[in-house]
Amino acid sequence: MKKPPTFRFWTIVLTLVLTYALVKWGIPALSREITGMPFPLTVPGTLMFIYMLLTIIALFLLVTFSEEHLAEFLYPIQRFLRGEYGRTTRTLGLVIVPALIGWPVYDVTIPKVQQPSSLRIQHPSSNFPKKNEDLKNPFASPSDAEVDAFIERAQANEVGFIPQLEADLDSWAEYTEPDHMLEAIPTAPMRAFLRELGAGSVNRDSARAALMEKHLFEGRALYSMNCRPCHGDSVAGDGPMADGFKLRPINFTDNGTIETIVEGYTFWRVSNGGPGLPTEATPWDSAMPVWKLNLSEEERWKIILAEYDLAQKTPRIPESH
Amino acid sequence: MKCRVATIFTLLILNWGVAVGASAPSGPRPEATDASLHQGAEIYLRRCSFCHGLLGDGNGPAADFLDPRPRDFTLGTFKFRTTQSGELPRDEDLFRTVSRGLSGTAMQAFDSDLIKNGLSENERWAVIDYIKTFAIEFDDPELDPVKNDLVVTLPSERPAYSEALVAKGNEVFEHAKCWECHGKLGRGDGQKSFDRTDDWGFPIRIRNVTHPWKIKAGSEAEDIYMRFSTGINGTPMPSFADALTEQERWALANFIKSLQHQLTNHQVLRALEIEGEISQDPGEANWLAAEPMDVRLTGQVVAAPRWQNPSIELVTVRALYNLEEIAFLIEWDDPFKDELHQSGIEFDPQEISRMGAFNSYVAANDVVPRQLETFRDAIALQFPVKLPEGTKKPHFFRGDSSNPVHLWQWRSDGVENSGQAVQESNARGWKQPSKVQPGENQQVDAVASWNQGRWSVIMRRPLLTDDRNDIQFVKGRFIPLALNAWDGSNGEHGLIMSLSTWHSVILEAPVPIKIYLYTLLAIVVSGALGVWLVRKERRRVAAMV
Repeated sequence: MKKPPTFRFWTIVLTLVLTYALVKWGIPALSREITGMPFPLTVPGTLMFIYMLLTIIALFLLVTFSEEHLAEFLYPIQRFLRGEYGRTTRTLGLVIVPALIGWPVYDVTIPKVQQPSSLRIQHPSSNFPKKNEDLKNPFASPSDAEVDAFIERAQANEVGFIPQLEADLDSWAEYTEPDHMLEAIPTAPMRAFLRELGAGSVNRDSARAALMEKHLFEGRALYSMNCRPCHGDSVAGDGPMADGFKLRPINFTDNGTIETIVEGYTFWRVSNGGPGLPTEATPWDSAMPVWKLNLSEEERWKIILAEYDLAQKTPRIPESH
Repeated sequence: MKCRVATIFTLLILNWGVAVGASAPSGPRPEATDASLHQGAEIYLRRCSFCHGLLGDGNGPAADFLDPRPRDFTLGTFKFRTTQSGELPRDEDLFRTVSRGLSGTAMQAFDSDLIKNGLSENERWAVIDYIKTFAIEFDDPELDPVKNDLVVTLPSERPAYSEALVAKGNEVFEHAKCWECHGKLGRGDGQKSFDRTDDWGFPIRIRNVTHPWKIKAGSEAEDIYMRFSTGINGTPMPSFADALTEQERWALANFIKSLQHQLTNHQVLRALEIEGEISQDPGEANWLAAEPMDVRLTGQVVAAPRWQNPSIELVTVRALYNLEEIAFLIEWDDPFKDELHQSGIEFDPQEISRMGAFNSYVAANDVVPRQLETFRDAIALQFPVKLPEGTKKPHFFRGDSSNPVHLWQWRSDGVENSGQAVQESNARGWKQPSKVQPGENQQVDAVASWNQGRWSVIMRRPLLTDDRNDIQFVKGRFIPLALNAWDGSNGEHGLIMSLSTWHSVILEAPVPIKIYLYTLLAIVVSGALGVWLVRKERRRVAAMV
């Protein structure tokens, strides 16, 4: 099959148009499918520039590869310039091409009313106290002595809960008349522990797991009361208060949030909130409260325990370990 | 081969589309077993109990701070159903609520396709089976809405949204007297006082149907249709299934849909330059020509006393300026005009804001009076005192110690009490009350009107003042702007309020003429190049001949 004489010219034009379309619309559309988010990922202007530049260089090499290629490519252009496609076509072309060049220039140079965007560093370290790097959550790994003390209290059925849970636990106990207050937590590790307790032979490991369940129970309650309005039941930063904040509450289920930082960092952020951030993290836009004003250290650690658990993430291990 | 890849890709996309936002179960529900009830109890403890309570009575530790309160499952009264008024819900109704959540409330979506740590279909069924154990009504086969044929379905014929359909729906709205509660424009302002309560004893707040994000069980016409075809159990919202035909109800659903506000999507308010006097009438032509900017507000949860039941979640702002003055038109929906203020019953946050207190949030119903004639309505514009250099700004919540803000607070009782509609003050953070400026520096005046559930306030001030504690309006600069709002009959006063983060206002400076030169230059150069190429080609051909 003989190719038409304009074949090379049009394939070059088509390649350019296709590359542009792929970067402009293809990547955002694909990103939506991959992330499953309702909005596309933004394609930076420099990416478009690089792709187009590379394409043009490649096409230039292709066209200038041999005399024939160049002649083939230039053939329709020369015919056009000679007016062999009609003088009107030539005049139109000579008007349209400068207009196509003038438009982006206009678009770039005319100032637009756009909120000055401020770059923001999400996990600033400039004022992060180094001593926090090694801080451990005291509720994540209770000592043997603490576990033993818990067993003792459990044997006497005198395990205490945080005051915030008291009212609900009391009405539950009144209605269900349980053998043991820990029955309020019907999870598998707690049930196993209560069975052992009933049989009179308690294993320290199952007691440790049960103590963890109790801490998680308290942590979740504190999270629901204090953090849920913004960060949501889902810990995805979509609580009922979230829509009003330009800087949306952090989605803890996202990769690259709480799993990339050490617990000590999480504790520091929860304690000092937005106002504790350095300038590069735009503290003036952050609605994160200074929780050290209203929550005790224990409450904050329990919340962090529950937060990682709800998000199904683990904190980063400090580097020195 | 290529074809196959494309097919697989297309199928992938289609599957995705189906999976996201599914609110109906994909298959038959699994039978409840002892094991699944155990699983349900565990899930309930982790994800539900802190609001709904260990006994399902809606008394979890977080419940007191929420309005609407978490559902009390023990009564068997469920609001959002596809069954006749007063009946129990179908299992699929509970499945839908657990999957999609109730928008505008603390009940969020739990569908694992919508949130990463959500619940799978089987997990949702397990927790629903557990929840049904709280109400004995579910054990009674005589109350089963499916067996007794009490299910409400959508009409088989649902004409597409059209102006004619909306007009017909409008007639139904008039005729069925929906406006008696919801107001002529749907802003929830029909009721003249909180004279009714729900089954749980809490005052009824009529829904403003123009804010789609607050329509709990979904804002699509199909969802709306179900609400007035099934009624909302436990509230005065009746079912219109007997009073209106299916087609009338479908038209009404589309009319309600047409009332929904379409949010603008920009963060910069462009002040419109005009010649001559700025009108004090919000309906005047210049005000209508000014570009509106919607600002979303949320409860003040940054510092104690925290408030998560804000009444005002949307404020629309416009701005006009002339050679001397700038004026802002601020509009928001508020079903009651509250013009009284009893400072004697203001809430003292001391108890809840101290360290180690039970909670730093304000309880929704028993701490702050949420009645008429208690607190005033108010709105405040907030600017930084100094125009920011670079991106640095004061904190959006009342600034901070080194970066003060300038507040213009309009109060509904201002003129009557102090002869002054607007109070100018400065704040350096929320810990100290804002400092009222001396009388001679009070330069903002305002006119306000309340009509059919909407406040319109116009605040006006000279562009420039001599006061160094004032914002100065300079052309061509992005001036940060934030809002605070109070609905008095929602118990709001002091820091119990709604607020926005920073937006900007700009007085556009004309574009310098030389900027247009670049475009002109680009066109002239490329045009000349074209002509030159034509000549060159002509010479080449001539040379060849």
